[in-house]
Amino acid sequence: MNNKNKILEMDNVVKIFGGLKANNGVSFEVEKGEIRGLIGPNGSGKTTLINQITGIYDATEGHIRYKGKKINGLQPDVIAAMGIMRTFQVARVFLNMTVLENMLIPAFTQGQSNNEANTRAEELLDFALLSRLKNKPTKSLSGGQFMLLQIVRGFMRKGLELYVMDEPFAGVHQSIKGIIIKSIKMMNQDKNVTFLIVSHEMATISSLCSKVTVLDKGARIAEGSMKEVANIPEVIDAYLGG
Amino acid sequence: MNLFHTKYLVFLILVLFAAFLPMYIGEYWQYVLTIAFFYAILAASWNLLSGYTGLFSLAHHAFGMIGAYTSTLLMAKAGIPFWMSIPAGILLTMLISSLMGIMCLRVSGLYLALITWAFAEVARNYFRLHYTFTGGDRGLESSLLFGTIQPTPYYYLFLGLLIATIILIVLIMRSRIGYYLKAIRDDSIAARSMGVNIVRYKIFAFAVSSGLAGMAGAFYGHSIGLISPIMGDFNEMAMIIIFVVIGGIRTMPGPIIGAIAVRILMELLRAQSEVRILILSLLVIIIMRFFNGGLMELYRQIKQWINKDKNGGTSAYHEIETPKQGES
Ligand SMILES: Nc1ncnc2c1ncn2[C@@H]1O[C@H](COP(=O)(O)OP(=O)(O)OP(=O)(O)O)[C@@H](O)[C@H]1O
Ligand SMILES: [Mg+2]
Repeated sequence: MNNKNKILEMDNVVKIFGGLKANNGVSFEVEKGEIRGLIGPNGSGKTTLINQITGIYDATEGHIRYKGKKINGLQPDVIAAMGIMRTFQVARVFLNMTVLENMLIPAFTQGQSNNEANTRAEELLDFALLSRLKNKPTKSLSGGQFMLLQIVRGFMRKGLELYVMDEPFAGVHQSIKGIIIKSIKMMNQDKNVTFLIVSHEMATISSLCSKVTVLDKGARIAEGSMKEVANIPEVIDAYLGG
Repeated sequence: MNLFHTKYLVFLILVLFAAFLPMYIGEYWQYVLTIAFFYAILAASWNLLSGYTGLFSLAHHAFGMIGAYTSTLLMAKAGIPFWMSIPAGILLTMLISSLMGIMCLRVSGLYLALITWAFAEVARNYFRLHYTFTGGDRGLESSLLFGTIQPTPYYYLFLGLLIATIILIVLIMRSRIGYYLKAIRDDSIAARSMGVNIVRYKIFAFAVSSGLAGMAGAFYGHSIGLISPIMGDFNEMAMIIIFVVIGGIRTMPGPIIGAIAVRILMELLRAQSEVRILILSLLVIIIMRFFNGGLMELYRQIKQWINKDKNGGTSAYHEIETPKQGES
């Protein structure tokens, strides 16, 4: 059960909102070092699942285990402290703080020294081509830059193990998308960060992820390489049937 | 960089100015300024909670009242000396406001405002209705800290308290906690996901800001010699908000400038007490319409305008970089 290579285990996760079953018994596992895609039509329950992994919601039923430990029901900051970062579908950045201050928050909560946090932030902002804006108020950035900042902010956490991203490529300029993809590949190779990425961009997911999990109407309907799942009738139905 | 130094220099000059001022003004204006400093402490501490942290509380004046009654009652009924009754007043406001913070963890905006308002009304009416104990609407005599009604020592007392308040809030806002408070205001969900323990820091903001109000209230009672439930009147809360808004919410100097300037203005208009509130209201409307950030925004715009002239018309604002093509 507690296989060392499994960093994340979803075990029959059910989430009910009023009368609506947003997640209906979802089970799957993610291995350490993987870049896993999570796809499915609109309203299939992807964001709801992520919100449970990161503690925004508690699961109605089932278990979510991270490195063998149950994490559903824990507070988001506790889960963050365990080495899980996330991004939001609609970027959530601290608009009235500067770009640099945004970067420092996860480093400070982790107890990094000022020096370490600042050096790290400079490096990452350099990488993301945001250095020139570091002392600007975040609200002066573009929508794509919000998303980019949100993503590199998560990399501020030292010892980041699992990064959960909700639609990181949605609505961003091609050049920014390139930076995001590069950062994911780099962090995965150099730091062995595991990724769980929700996206509608099949081509990008196909190139990044060796394995994808498909949700439809709150349930897991398929899993495998992009090529494999694309030929499964249920998956085709889910996408065509709306 | 030198901007920081200029800021501290201006602060130091103002403090020195305030320290020598009583030599040149009469007792009446010393008294007026003492009260203005009292309100400046309330405004600055409310700005910490409701401005920087975004928790819009309408109970701040009530914590001032609770601090005042706690210390005065402890002295009057139990004979406890100042040096214990005043800290007790501060601790009690911190305790009650922490409990309120816990109660309000899941609410924000209008709901938070309503809950805190209701709490303030309960507190005010408690002091009104338990008149055998509290003196009710007639008020309660409070022993004077310096045994005299001569205002000079109280002027220096409140000047010192105000300086201490400013230093404390500056230290908090420049520390990591300041980052967390601002992050909570901007987006509490993102803050939590970035590891901020929002329960701890929301309660911290409530406790520190209300503790400062309680401190101001406790000293206020022992300076004026008489406290009454009027301290808990909603008008008092409205005035605190007006001070902060006119001066500039979410700025350090704004609430203090707002409180002192408006108190002086009100004093100058004392003879025309009917038009006083009219002028004040007009001021709020004008400032809100043209300088959304209050007097500090006006100052920023003037500074920017001067700098623009110096730089030959090029503004340093709105330079947004579009990243170059990434290679991947
Ligand atoms: N807080 C909530 N309260 C009630 N219903 C919700 C809530 N969050 C999500 N839902 C519902 O749950 C279902 C799944 O939503 P979810 O956002 O998880 O889908 P998704 O797969 O992320 O969709 P999209 O691709 O559009 O982002 C939807 O029907 C949605 O309306
Ligand atoms: Mg979604």
